[in-house]
Amino acid sequence: MTLTLEQMRKDIAELIELDPSEVRDDDVLPDLGLDSLRLMRLVLAWEEAGLTADFGLFAEYSTLGEWWREVVLPAQAV
Amino acid sequence: MAAVAPAPVAARAHKLTEAQEGLWYAQALDPANPILNTGQYLDLRGPLDLPAMREALARTIAESQALHLRFRMGEDGPEQFLSPQGITPRIVDLRAHPDPEAEALARMRADSDRPLDLSAEPLAAFTLFILSPDRHLLYERIHHLAIDGYGMVLVTNRIGEHYGTLTGAGPVPMPLPPYQRAHDENDAWLASDRRAQAAEWWRAAMADLPEVTGPNPGRAVSGHRFIRESRWLPADIAASLEQVATRCKLGWPDVLTALTGAYLARWTGGDCVIGIPFMARMGRKIARLPCMAMNVLPHRIRPDEDMPLDDWLALEAATLREERRHGLYRSEYLRRDLGLVGGSRRLYGPLVNVQPFDRAPVFAGLTVGLHILGAGAVDDLTLTFRGDPQSGILFEVDANPALYTAHDIAGHSARLPEFLRAALAAPSLATVPTASPAEIAATEQVNATAHPVPDTTLTALIEAQMQATPDAPALSHGDQTLSFADLDRRSAALAAKLSALGAGPGGIVAVALERSLELPIALLAILRAGAAYLPLDPDHPAERIARILSRAQPAVVLSAPDLAALFAPGTPLLTTPDWPTTGAAPATPAAPDDLAYVIFTSGSTGEPKGVMVEHRAIVNRLLWMGAHYGIDASDRILQKTPASFDVSVWEFFLPMIVGAELVMAPPGAHRDPAAIAALIRRHAITTLHFVPSMLSAFLAAPASGGLALRRVFCSGEELTADHRDRFHQRITAELHNLYGPTEAAVDVSYWPAAPDDTANPVPIGWPVWNTVLEVLDDRMRPLPPGLAGNLYLGGVQLARGYLGRDDLTAERFIPDPHRPGQRLYAAGDLARRRPDGAVVYLGRSDHQVKIRGLRIELGEIEAAIMATGLARETVVLAREDNGGEKRLVAYLVPKADYAQGALAAKLADTLPAYMVPSAEIALSALPVTSNGKLDRKALPAPEFRAGGRAAETATEQLLARLFAEVLHLPRPATAEADFFALGGDSLSAVRLTLRIGQETGRDPGLGTIFEHPVLSAMAAAIEAHAQDDGLGPLILLADGDPDAAPLFLIHPAGGISWGYRHLARLIAPARRVWGVQHPGLDPQTALPENLDALAREYMQHILRLVPDGPVHLVGWSVGGIIAQALAVELAAVGRKAGLVALLDSYPADAWRNEPDPDPVAALRALLAIAGHDPNAHLDLDSREKVVAFLRAGETTLGALPDPVLDGITRLVTDTNRLVRGHYHRPMPGRLTHIRAALDHAGENLGADMWQPYAGEVEALAVPFLHPQMTSPEASAMIAPELVRRLDRY
Repeated sequence: MTLTLEQMRKDIAELIELDPSEVRDDDVLPDLGLDSLRLMRLVLAWEEAGLTADFGLFAEYSTLGEWWREVVLPAQAV
Repeated sequence: MAAVAPAPVAARAHKLTEAQEGLWYAQALDPANPILNTGQYLDLRGPLDLPAMREALARTIAESQALHLRFRMGEDGPEQFLSPQGITPRIVDLRAHPDPEAEALARMRADSDRPLDLSAEPLAAFTLFILSPDRHLLYERIHHLAIDGYGMVLVTNRIGEHYGTLTGAGPVPMPLPPYQRAHDENDAWLASDRRAQAAEWWRAAMADLPEVTGPNPGRAVSGHRFIRESRWLPADIAASLEQVATRCKLGWPDVLTALTGAYLARWTGGDCVIGIPFMARMGRKIARLPCMAMNVLPHRIRPDEDMPLDDWLALEAATLREERRHGLYRSEYLRRDLGLVGGSRRLYGPLVNVQPFDRAPVFAGLTVGLHILGAGAVDDLTLTFRGDPQSGILFEVDANPALYTAHDIAGHSARLPEFLRAALAAPSLATVPTASPAEIAATEQVNATAHPVPDTTLTALIEAQMQATPDAPALSHGDQTLSFADLDRRSAALAAKLSALGAGPGGIVAVALERSLELPIALLAILRAGAAYLPLDPDHPAERIARILSRAQPAVVLSAPDLAALFAPGTPLLTTPDWPTTGAAPATPAAPDDLAYVIFTSGSTGEPKGVMVEHRAIVNRLLWMGAHYGIDASDRILQKTPASFDVSVWEFFLPMIVGAELVMAPPGAHRDPAAIAALIRRHAITTLHFVPSMLSAFLAAPASGGLALRRVFCSGEELTADHRDRFHQRITAELHNLYGPTEAAVDVSYWPAAPDDTANPVPIGWPVWNTVLEVLDDRMRPLPPGLAGNLYLGGVQLARGYLGRDDLTAERFIPDPHRPGQRLYAAGDLARRRPDGAVVYLGRSDHQVKIRGLRIELGEIEAAIMATGLARETVVLAREDNGGEKRLVAYLVPKADYAQGALAAKLADTLPAYMVPSAEIALSALPVTSNGKLDRKALPAPEFRAGGRAAETATEQLLARLFAEVLHLPRPATAEADFFALGGDSLSAVRLTLRIGQETGRDPGLGTIFEHPVLSAMAAAIEAHAQDDGLGPLILLADGDPDAAPLFLIHPAGGISWGYRHLARLIAPARRVWGVQHPGLDPQTALPENLDALAREYMQHILRLVPDGPVHLVGWSVGGIIAQALAVELAAVGRKAGLVALLDSYPADAWRNEPDPDPVAALRALLAIAGHDPNAHLDLDSREKVVAFLRAGETTLGALPDPVLDGITRLVTDTNRLVRGHYHRPMPGRLTHIRAALDHAGENLGADMWQPYAGEVEALAVPFLHPQMTSPEASAMIAPELVRRLDRY
């Protein structure tokens, strides 16, 4: 199973109680209310969906666009 | 192992990041403090691959650059740099050690406790302890400047990852980022406009912060160590936590943080600010970097406890989210922004640290346990939760030992999980008690006071006792004593009369009498008539008495003819002359649930409240006291408490039910320490009561020294540890602290304040029989030990209620929420329990205050002020501005016809003296706070100061100084100052008399202060007094045991004996010490014919005081010659002298043949009397010069009025005549001679000169000059010799 950008957007939006349209690629996620504990839950969920990626690596970036480009695409490319 | 250096090494020094600054300064302030060494160890079980572990450590150390940091002071402030020195991981083999685990832990502790040199040595250390082939402990210690909690997780996990790689169990981990990223992120943050926005957001969010404190108040600065209590959260709590979080769609860490905050808020009045450690890495390039980045976010919690729990949790989570969004702004800066730097000002109290990431790391093939040793400073409390609901949550309470005891943290550690369990199951916080079930059960144990008490009346108990011991003494007053049969007869007669006048069960009879034999007879007669007695204080204003009588409607008022003016016409008075002496007690007995007495206390509405107490209640109280303290027929109990104060109830009736003797103190004696001490000695009192402030004054009075009795009870206000300790230093007796309001039959709790009791504060202790004490919060929920709340009282002693005030009764006597059908009385007091269950009193919770044991409703005073028509608005406070003494101050917005000082005069008509404010301050408006409430803090402190001329005479100046001292005035009082207007009260008046006594050697008497409160008048009275008493033939130099034979000190040449005051005070209070003075001090009095005539005159005075037994005589100089002559005269009338001691006196024979001294030489003898060496002042060669010299000094002699000084001068000259004309006769018995051994060089003077004139001469010597023989120093040597000899008689 492959994680998609839109699935990630939907998961994030649900966790911070926003509409997916309000989570744009370059919004700073901590400013939208995403904290490390919620990120942890996201990463755990995505790991269950088959992603192999480090929580810390997600945490180094602050936007969905960066996550997709810098973390998820390289991991899924392996 | 070799040192592992960082790779690569950067040589350049950097400024500290914002995150590091606060820590750096904290460490710099206390370089020897090791608390910032954060440390932990892993407990590794299983077969460890030692080479892999070595390599894993080496790789981790090499790539974690932060571990190699050093810190130093640079030119622009502190800076950091990477050291190439390297870090050597250590392997310690403890397999041969008998207790390898304990040894390893001790070594870890020793390492963690060592402060580091931040500039010169590695900030990190790693040690692997080998305990056994299958057990290893890996210790990691890193200074907080280099690492934070999450950083430690990263480092530790890193070791595990490398170990996995090296043992073939895992992939090669991604490289760690370089430390440079910490600087880059810091620079980016500093440059970002988000920083200013965050600052602004926090300033607004934290505006209006309350004064922040933790559960235990005090200065919250971390020490060198902390104390810890840890336990696992029970699985059911972790499960509920997860369920509730899921139900609320919240993160469980937020739910846990909020509920922990709610628990902490319970400790600080429902409002607290907790600190929440914040990782500060999210979305930053330092997310995977071991470094110090964390921040602490202040989070205020003031729960609306009625809000549904889920709603409140959602609100908290939303707030937490907002705070995290602004979480990069440093709390150190916010603290500065809010002006909270310095002193005890704080931004947050306890830390609540939920660490879901803090799980044991993975080491392939090993089982791993994680143990945190220290995570940085512990300023207050740090409550840490490590782990998660699935794998278990470790709960640690770390505390600053300067603020918390091991007991405190054990309490929090056990209690918080119970709070969480209850809260997670509750609809709202309102139903969750702070006390744990175990604590509630422990309180029930303390309150298990059930004890059988006969269902009877006070009257029946007293009647049984009167029957049992008719001949025993029941009652004494002065020289009169009544037996129980007398008491029976007289009270029965009066009861018959009262019954005839309509008094009976359900009725009330009032009593207004001074202390006398009649007072207890009246009280008992009322009880025997079946009625309740209502005591009235004859000192109270007529208007107040009228109000009480109109509410109580007594059938009869028992009083005395001289008090009749207190009552309005038509009052059904029965005064003492009309009391019958014969008659049988009526057969109208009261039942146990009838009223025994009604006592009126101050009421907030301006109306005194009549507390109705039933027989059953007071019977419980009295039988408890008799049994608990073993009070029996051998006791003598002093009655000194005014009958209108309910402490008097046990004083009156306990002796009557146990057959003890009740000794009535004379009216007014209860305020006079000397009088009380004399009563105790004279009547061999075994048991008495003090209000603590009076006890304090009593202990300060000379007369109380060395008293021995069985027991002293204190109640009415707070007994302090100081009172207790001073008591036991001075008095031999048990001391008991009792507590209780009038509404619960005198006392409901007790505490033995024994000599070995070290409790501070002194508790009010434990409930008496059939009584419960509850400490509950504002929602009537039980509170744990240590937490202050409202004190509620329950049980058989509760009063029926307030007479005619069902509304007030319903307000204060409420249903017990935890014991259906029972009542509780809201005492209006704040209290807390100690861990052992004893209750500690903390003060009043409402507008009542207590001043010297008297409960005062400030509202009653305010109502009285409004009733004067002089004020538009008013507020009364009890202030403690000076020296910790409480004084009432009235603030008012005056009406037009108000004049300064007008209030007190008007109030004296309606309020008892103790309720009249000591000061009144007129204001144009009462200050209010921003939310419209009265701003008590803004009310100015009164200036207790009077205008007028400055003190002039020596006595006035002395009083000006003493007024200021006693009343804590900033400057000496003026001559027109009124002692009471300046804030004086009866207690400070006692202090003033003591001080005047100390300064002048004469007790002015308390009456003098009350009669002449204005300084100049008081000074005149004291001077007049001095002429009356101080210069009379006998003055009491020091009071003492009146039953011991007194000592008489005979004046020297000047005729006055004040100079003996030091000596006298060293001999009292074992006996009284009198000074004998020359009648010729009064210039109108003729001079004596000769010395023998003078001695005979003195004998007459002395024998009036000593009707039998030995007469002890001491005299200095000429006084010794007279003492010897007195001993001769005593023998002539068949009396015996006891001690006859001569202080450096020599027979007249030595002087007779010397030339007459010139008048000036005689005058200069005055210098000796004043304590100066005349030979050192040869220049004083005229009367004027001598007098001027004496006036200039601070001697009592110099302060004497001119006529007195004239009298003394006359006597000095005349005494020379008497001595030269005196021919000694031999006295029988021993003459003790004490020679001034430093004097008389070249003179042939010695004790043996007395040989012809005494049966026996005993010679002593002290190393002083003749003029110094009455100095404090000489007295200190002479007094013990005299005491030893006096004790033989």
